[in-house]
Amino acid sequence: MLEIRQLDAFYGDAQALWGVTMDVHDGETVAVLGTNGAGKSTLVNAVAGLHAKRSGRISVGGRDVAALPAHKVCEYGVAVVPEGRRVFPGMSVYDNLCLGAYRRTARAEYRKGLDRVHDIFPRLRQRTGQLAGSLSGGEQQMLAIGRALMAKPTLLLLDEPSLGLAPVMTDEVFEAIEAVNAQGVSVLLVEQDVDRALEAASRGYLLAEGRVAGAGTSAELRASDTVQRSVLGI
Amino acid sequence: MTTIQAALSGILLGGLYALMAAGVSVTWGVLRIINLAHFGMILLGAYLTFELATAWRVNPLVTLVVSVPAMFVLGGALQWAFDYLRVSELNSLLITFGLLIVVVQSVSNVWSADFQRMAAEVNPYATESVRVGRFVFPVPTLLAFAIALLVILGAHLVLRRTFIGRALRAYAEDRPIAAAFGIDHRRIGVLLAAVTGATAAVAGMLFSLANALTPATAFEWFGTVFAVVILGGIGHLVGTLAAGVLVGLLSSVVSVVLSPATAPFVLFSAIVLALILRPQGLFTVGATR
Ligand SMILES: Nc1ncnc2c1ncn2[C@@H]1O[C@H](COP(=O)(O)OP(=O)(O)OP(=O)(O)O)[C@@H](O)[C@H]1O
Ligand SMILES: [Mg+2]
Repeated sequence: MLEIRQLDAFYGDAQALWGVTMDVHDGETVAVLGTNGAGKSTLVNAVAGLHAKRSGRISVGGRDVAALPAHKVCEYGVAVVPEGRRVFPGMSVYDNLCLGAYRRTARAEYRKGLDRVHDIFPRLRQRTGQLAGSLSGGEQQMLAIGRALMAKPTLLLLDEPSLGLAPVMTDEVFEAIEAVNAQGVSVLLVEQDVDRALEAASRGYLLAEGRVAGAGTSAELRASDTVQRSVLGI
Repeated sequence: MTTIQAALSGILLGGLYALMAAGVSVTWGVLRIINLAHFGMILLGAYLTFELATAWRVNPLVTLVVSVPAMFVLGGALQWAFDYLRVSELNSLLITFGLLIVVVQSVSNVWSADFQRMAAEVNPYATESVRVGRFVFPVPTLLAFAIALLVILGAHLVLRRTFIGRALRAYAEDRPIAAAFGIDHRRIGVLLAAVTGATAAVAGMLFSLANALTPATAFEWFGTVFAVVILGGIGHLVGTLAAGVLVGLLSSVVSVVLSPATAPFVLFSAIVLALILRPQGLFTVGATR
């Protein structure tokens, strides 16, 4: 589904990713772990086309997207749940969700998409006319995920979906991610909450200072000293 | 009596101000381009109507078949260039002010700086008016108000209810995320600016129905219409409509009660006061941009 090869990314002259190579196979959930500043968001943004200064190869479903702007990457079925949610605060929940279905292939079936999102997050149905900016943090996270699902993605990129959420909300969000994955969507899940991430994912990568510092199945990573040391700080 | 008549006329006049302001407001709010060239396009629209109606001996409304597509293309082309050159918000103000001067000067060269008015035989509306009780409403003003209302409310519905409208609002709020959901900034920017150009053609036509034209009028619009843009709240169409009506009402009533010369003074004092009290615009609920 997603193949990243030798990906470098830069902020001006400062390099943030160094030769990152990783894969997400069809229908898989893959976790990306790492401490603050490891380069996780840079990775997500580079794949989504939101980070312009990048080089290397990124292919989605066999098509190279490394040089494409975000709106073209979206056409290939990539949807993003960005760090900090980034819902459109002045637009209603309904409008935020409809916006998710902007891309041509999703727009035709936006009603089906709404039903699907409302089934996963019934709370969004109750909030449909409310401005997104007035939702609680957890509700905004649901909306950000719902908006991404409206795009009918084949690859979903999630950047720290549990950030700032109460444990109950986090449970709900992770259940939703697993439900989405069960429907066949491939997921790249960036998290600092190692336990939950490895529970949801079958495999994972450890990112440290912009480089892949480890990889393995969830069980292997859970047992790994490197992960324990670099992410949990033990 | 005369005050009430003035108030009603002012309200009608405000519709045209609002239509002129709507284009500036939306391109500012969504594209972050402060397009003073918009006033140049209104001027061009007015002169196109004047020229074609006179040359073809047709009803001025018919001239829209030429002026609307022409301004649509011009507006879109300008935005394409702004986008290509990555013009910033502040630079757009300077560049489009320059363009406005170029347009005004070119119009002077082509049509002279003298006042020009459509001949009565091509402009059936010029001298007609509708009498309601003791009040008199000139047909051009009524027409301008009705069409302005239709265009603004139509545009408002498009922004609220359609995919392209939501895309424009989303783009105004968060550009990168909008892009991540498939919104091509160049395409929607050019489309929006083209539609905005078309509204300039309509506003120009409406202005030419009731008024003699002179190139310097573009600078007069600039002051009043800019006030409407700010008061209405940048990017807010319904607010712009309300602000247009308010500004029209205020300047018309002050002209009658005090004197025409005091109108700008009172108007701009009111605006300064309004901006101090409500910097986000008079009619906006929760500032969004
Ligand atoms: N806009 C920016 N300009 C310059 N450097 C940046 C910028 N954003 C991030 N960086 C740097 O790039 C590196 C990777 O940042 P990134 O945001 O990808 O980390 P992260 O793993 O997502 O961290 P967090 O867990 O805090 O979200 C960091 O060293 C950071 O300082
Ligand atoms: Mg991050």
